Amino acid sequence: MTLHHRLILLATPRQIGVLDWRPGRLHWLGDFPATEQGMAAFRAVVAKHSRLPTLVVVDTVDEDYRSEALPHVAGHARTELLDRRLRQVFRNARFVGAWRQTRETTGRRDDRYLFAALTDADWLTPWLAVLQRERVPLYGITPLALASQHLLTRLRPQEPHTLLAYRLNNRLRLSYYHNGQLRFSRLVSSESPTQLPGNAADEIAKTQLYLTGQRILPRESRLSVLLCDPSGQLDSAQAALNADPAFNTRVVDLQSLGRALGIPENFLAETPDVVPLAAIAGDTVELNLAPAELLQPYTEYRWRRGLHALAGTLAGVGLVVTAGYALHAQELRSEAEALARQTQQLDSRYAAIARGFPANLPPPGQLAQTVELAHTLAANRVNVDALYAALGQVLAAYPDVRLDTLSWNEASPPFAAPGARVRLDASLTGFDGNYRAALRRIEALMQHLAAVPSLHEVRLRTSPVNVDSSATLTGQTRNGADPALAAAFSVELVYREETAP
Amino acid sequence: MTAPPIAALRVAIVLVAVALALALVGIVWSHHAARDAEAGLTEQHAAHAAAQQRLARSREEQRLIEAHQEAYLRFVEAGFIGAEDRLAWIEAVQLASRSVGLAGLEYRLSPRSPAPPGLAQALPLGQTTMTLTMPILVETDLPRFFAALRTRAPGIYRIQGCRLSRVGNEAFKAADQPRLKVECELVWYTLASASQASAS
Repeated sequence: MTLHHRLILLATPRQIGVLDWRPGRLHWLGDFPATEQGMAAFRAVVAKHSRLPTLVVVDTVDEDYRSEALPHVAGHARTELLDRRLRQVFRNARFVGAWRQTRETTGRRDDRYLFAALTDADWLTPWLAVLQRERVPLYGITPLALASQHLLTRLRPQEPHTLLAYRLNNRLRLSYYHNGQLRFSRLVSSESPTQLPGNAADEIAKTQLYLTGQRILPRESRLSVLLCDPSGQLDSAQAALNADPAFNTRVVDLQSLGRALGIPENFLAETPDVVPLAAIAGDTVELNLAPAELLQPYTEYRWRRGLHALAGTLAGVGLVVTAGYALHAQELRSEAEALARQTQQLDSRYAAIARGFPANLPPPGQLAQTVELAHTLAANRVNVDALYAALGQVLAAYPDVRLDTLSWNEASPPFAAPGARVRLDASLTGFDGNYRAALRRIEALMQHLAAVPSLHEVRLRTSPVNVDSSATLTGQTRNGADPALAAAFSVELVYREETAP
Repeated sequence: MTAPPIAALRVAIVLVAVALALALVGIVWSHHAARDAEAGLTEQHAAHAAAQQRLARSREEQRLIEAHQEAYLRFVEAGFIGAEDRLAWIEAVQLASRSVGLAGLEYRLSPRSPAPPGLAQALPLGQTTMTLTMPILVETDLPRFFAALRTRAPGIYRIQGCRLSRVGNEAFKAADQPRLKVECELVWYTLASASQASAS
């Protein structure tokens, strides 16, 4: 969880300090003693910043740390297991917490936890009461040793076993870290600042013995000691400690702290309390000692933030989509208006042209169609001269053929080419009853007709004698030609002129 | 995350609901506006296309008028377009008959009827059949008659068919008596003018 603007409080039995933190911006709001005036001033500051998520970093002697290995479980089972174990270990302590640090790689592969508790926190209650009264969204109560762990991370020690000796407000906090994770911490308080430098080396040595005795620190391990004191009073302990091969001591000066935290040295020099607070401010709190009821305002705060963000997102999305549609609609309307103007111009041009059309004429399409129809009706008419010439030319060669009737009918519309169906009703003069000769003569006539280029489909419609087996046949015979005897026949053909290409 | 404290979040929940409602209203309203604008643009596109077609058509119409106006007016003057002039037809065949030297002819005009749709092509084309019966001396009188009629006849007509037959059965001998009879059918075409077509 990353938060951007928050209050970080450093609470001790004597006072409480307030840091207004934003990424890249720190504002120390001051220390407030545990007096009536101090409490009132603290309340006023909190009231002004009551909407900010708040973390309380506790620096007290009355704390306890235990390292526990528990079976690996998850979810509700883990919560129940930890609650039960914390009650067993710390009895009725109100401020307790467990931090799952690692999982063992051998054996049962249990989870390794660091349990912590404030064994006596009555002094904290008034400060918390102020926060509760102002409905401040408290998101955690954590020991200073854990805040120092975040400082240690920024200092990047290479050694696995590190003891951070941090002096703050005349109190020396000694915190042991294994591979960067808090395992133990104790606060050495001193009323006289002149005694502290000498005590520092002794206290560190005592702590090392304790850790070794409790098997928290492996025997024969070399302990890397970081002396961190913005006022520089711990520097002299370095020589004493380095005389012992069990220690490898170095001093973390103001410059190193400033570089590690990204804070100007002069600011650190003026407000040394901010060092551990600034280290933990932007990070997740792994060990939270706050009971659930104190975290309720923060839960509300997170839900409220989420809902506000959701409302903002919905409004934003709605605004964007609405604006998108609205802009799109505007573009379409503009395009439609431009088209309407063009249409009007086109209509004006059409009207100008239409005004020039003659009033007494049919519509132009019909005009063209009428002229075309007239040409069609007038075209491809049968050339009677040519028709008669074609027939006459053949008939002239057959003087014995007497034409009785010549009829012709033009082809039906659409008059694609001049043509007509022609029928010749004729008879052979001088017929002597020789039908065979008559038929030969008629056949010759028909072939002659067929040979004419414009005459087609010549066929005998009626023969002088019907030799069909299904018909009745009557006649007479004569000797010699009889003018009364006639061989009448009928020929049909098609007259078709070749049109010019 | 733990269960939400609903009572403490009433205002925030209402805020979310209001934001959602406003967003939906805005989106629906603007969506409708965009849809209406799109419909309006589609209409304008159609109107623009129609105007372009109309303009293009007008140029084509102008071209058609320029190309066919003269011929049309000629056909009007010739009698093809407009009311039937039966008197002119009768006079034409009479004059043609006289100029060829025929003995006379009989004519019969049928009532005007609409031309076949395949020929008329939706135009108000009418046709009148004229049946001519005339005695002729020789076969060549007929083509001469038609040639004379072509120069005198108004409007447009077609010779639908003719039947040439002998009168009597005697052998040929030189005489000025007509020995042949001709029956021909002519079809006169007329196109009703625009005013006549709308009146009918």
